[in-house]
Amino acid sequence: MTVITGNDNRLTPDAVQAVSFPSARLGRRGLDEEHVRAFCGQVERELVRLLNERTALTDEVQRLRRRVLGQAGNESGSGYRQDDAHVQAVRILSKAQQTADRYVADAQEYSRQLAQDARRRRDEILTEAKSHAAVMLEEAHGEASRAAEAALAAPVPAATPAQASAERRELEAEVAYLRTFSDVYRAHLHAYLDALVRNVEEWERTEKSSLAAVRADLPRLPHYPQPPAPTG
Amino acid sequence: MDTARLKESFARVAMHGDEVALFFYSDLFLRHPETREMFPISMAAQRDHLLQALARIVSDVENVAQLKAFLQGLGRDHRKFGTLTHHYEPVGTSLLATLAHFSGEHWTPELAAEWQAAYGLIAQIMTEAAAADERVNPPFWDATVLSHELRTFDTAVFRVAALDRLTYLPGQSVAIECELRPRIWRFYSIANAPRDDATMDFHIRVIDGGALSMALGRGLRPGSRLRLGPPVGTLTLDLSSGRDVLLVAGSTGLAPVKAIAMQIADLPHPPRVHLFVGARRPEDLYDLPDLEKLGASAHWLTITPCVSDDPAYSGERGVLPDVVARSGSWAGHDAYIAGPTPMVEAMAARLASVGTPQEQIHVEDFGWSEPS
Repeated sequence: MTVITGNDNRLTPDAVQAVSFPSARLGRRGLDEEHVRAFCGQVERELVRLLNERTALTDEVQRLRRRVLGQAGNESGSGYRQDDAHVQAVRILSKAQQTADRYVADAQEYSRQLAQDARRRRDEILTEAKSHAAVMLEEAHGEASRAAEAALAAPVPAATPAQASAERRELEAEVAYLRTFSDVYRAHLHAYLDALVRNVEEWERTEKSSLAAVRADLPRLPHYPQPPAPTG
Repeated sequence: MDTARLKESFARVAMHGDEVALFFYSDLFLRHPETREMFPISMAAQRDHLLQALARIVSDVENVAQLKAFLQGLGRDHRKFGTLTHHYEPVGTSLLATLAHFSGEHWTPELAAEWQAAYGLIAQIMTEAAAADERVNPPFWDATVLSHELRTFDTAVFRVAALDRLTYLPGQSVAIECELRPRIWRFYSIANAPRDDATMDFHIRVIDGGALSMALGRGLRPGSRLRLGPPVGTLTLDLSSGRDVLLVAGSTGLAPVKAIAMQIADLPHPPRVHLFVGARRPEDLYDLPDLEKLGASAHWLTITPCVSDDPAYSGERGVLPDVVARSGSWAGHDAYIAGPTPMVEAMAARLASVGTPQEQIHVEDFGWSEPS
């Protein structure tokens, strides 16, 4: 483990953030890197929080000390000098900035998760489609081969010369193979397209019903403007 | 200047981490509200940059030559953010207020004077470098998107036209800002050698949740406006070596590598070039048709696409370091490698292990890794 500590050998938030651990040797059990990182993040945030609390307390002590010693003669009743007011304003603006930072970070994290989910779903769909296609091809090939064999085995009219009859058998077998292959393929495509259409219909139905539910929840508006007619 | 004293003082303040930068920017924005416009909505990354730059300056304070070069770069770099000479004084005031606040009882008039002098010097070096750059370059280049194409689930390719000519070397990159995400700049490699019509291509890998890459990958349309910073980067062709060239690209690392290949295509006596482009799945080889077009007219160029995660792929299968290592001997080549961090590191290490001298290995590390 490598930790770079400050001059006086104390642990700083930066040092926690920059700490690095060597990976466990092959075959040895190691800790889950993400868990370790998450914990270091927690330690870093806690250190920063404590240090900030300490700064705030030090400020408060100094302010009170000044007040007790009566050094700030022109101090107003509230106990704040102009410097204090500025520091207070800095604090408030800092809090607002941190809130904004958190919103942006949350939005980014949300979009990261969405993108990851979408990628996983895409991979699942692709894998499924690929295995489906493989099964379909195999089935078409199997049936077509059987049809071709049947054509080869069929009796040939007696008067045909031997050479021509062999050629004819082969051609018939090929035709039988292709015809069956295309029949099976077409049947699968039909089934696939039907399933797609059903999916789309179901999707439209759910969308309509959920929209209706949302509209029902909306407060009634005095009048609902019509959308402008398309001009193009 | 009492550098030991400055270092000690900074170490004490830096203990407070992010809070220091938070205080600094709030103080600056309260005293000069107009400066808020120069920064993005989320300041988290910005605060990291500030603290890192300050830490670097303080730790290098005795190493004058190196520090000066760093500050000059910083001064030039800040021009694209709209930083002008008159911004340096407010920054100095807020920096001193911040140091005073976090130093507490350790803050003395003498220490304040030391810091004042140190900041004066820093500001002087930065403003002088910015002024020298101003005589040669605009602060940024305005550009318009001509075409944009989402090639895969998360890879997009787009072409821009810059209003003023941007002079760069093939393999270099520029920082990009787009109107969809104001004040957020990220570096992207230019994917072509300079053209007569000053158009430039970019390859964008959408990083999940990425602040800018999502906008550039999915939000741009023809006509969208961009700003481009000055060109940077050292992944550039060594024209004098006379050695053959090995180009290795993972994912959008193809952009700088393609620019270099196009540069070689224009040489009167091109060296022999072997270009490897890697992806996990065949459909992620997002620019193959264009590469094949380049390869078809170039007898000196061999292109090997390879795929790591599809056992059914008919071409080269495996990760780039394995495929490259088994495809030839590379000790006498100049190697140019670009792509995701783990791929670039593994590839450079593999080449070193098969005898390519370190000084012949040039890399551009994109600083991200592909999702697993």
